[in-house]
Amino acid sequence: MIDGLLILLFFQFLGEVVIRLTGIPLPASVVGMVLLLLALLLNVPFSQRVAPAAGALIKHISLLIFPLGVGIVLQWHRYEDYALALGVAVVLGTLLSLVLVTLMLKKLLGGKHGESAGGRHDG
Amino acid sequence: MMDKLDSLAGLVHTPLFGILLTLASYRFALWVYGRSNSLPLFHPFLVASIPVIIVLPLVGVDYEEYRDQTTLISFLLGPATVALAWPLYRQLHTVRSVLTPILIATVLGAFISAAIAVGLAWWLGAPAEVVGSLAPKSITTPIAVEVVQSTGGFVSLAAGAVAITGIVGALAAGPIFRLLKVTDHRIKGFALGLVAHAIGTARAFEYGEKAGAFAGLALGLCGLVTAMALPWLWPWVAQYL
Repeated sequence: MIDGLLILLFFQFLGEVVIRLTGIPLPASVVGMVLLLLALLLNVPFSQRVAPAAGALIKHISLLIFPLGVGIVLQWHRYEDYALALGVAVVLGTLLSLVLVTLMLKKLLGGKHGESAGGRHDG
Repeated sequence: MMDKLDSLAGLVHTPLFGILLTLASYRFALWVYGRSNSLPLFHPFLVASIPVIIVLPLVGVDYEEYRDQTTLISFLLGPATVALAWPLYRQLHTVRSVLTPILIATVLGAFISAAIAVGLAWWLGAPAEVVGSLAPKSITTPIAVEVVQSTGGFVSLAAGAVAITGIVGALAAGPIFRLLKVTDHRIKGFALGLVAHAIGTARAFEYGEKAGAFAGLALGLCGLVTAMALPWLWPWVAQYL
């Protein structure tokens, strides 16, 4: 657990260093994520020890997020004027995206490797 | 006696109170979620918010203060984002054979989701900050709240939009897949992960291991692609808002 946390913080710090040196407009943690992915793919020693800490953080991601989300309700006066735009963009937008993305995937992946049929039952 | 009561009332203005309230609400939400058999509508993000939203106004703590109290918790979002490299690494192996179409699908899909949200909000007259908050709504929350800073949006709004997107996507997936006659579990999983991030991924696992793996991969790749592209593209988009 401590090893994993150490690795995560180290790569986040590395991301921060890269951003300060290059000035690229990306979040430091995203750069850290890419660097960690590269380290894992290149089999950098000890990088696999990130697993327990990574698993724990991802499992409880809702805990880390919802304190930010309550701001919508507690500061609703900021957003109420745009309630319709928000509702439509979020709800209808999501349905529309899901339909379009699914159709696109059917085109791109459908029929490949003879697995297009749903006859296989996994689950 | 009054002194003691005053110092007791002052307790609500400490980080200890904020963090205790947050953790207790989350624990309660986990219990509810388990009881509901993991129904998307009872996702911990929504349920955990309710006690906090009720208690804070009652004890006279405003949202800004609560955010300050819980910085210890939000700090962990950084390492949690870095941590996403782990599942991404694990799932890249499982899909090596279809990697190229998957990468194409990710770029197109990430663009579709963001463009639809931005387009609809803009068309309905939302101001630039609100539109900017919605641009990353299909990507996993830790990345979304980072990216939203480069689009000039509100963190709270982005976090909420992401959560509702996940819930709507997970609820609508069944009917939409039936309507479009999708039987391939890879497509179901990938579409869910791409549009509805972590909540969609949880839904995808109900279709099976393979759907779940594809969803997890889509979640990671879509977050990555959006985080890489949006900060560069946004200044160009913003001049039309």
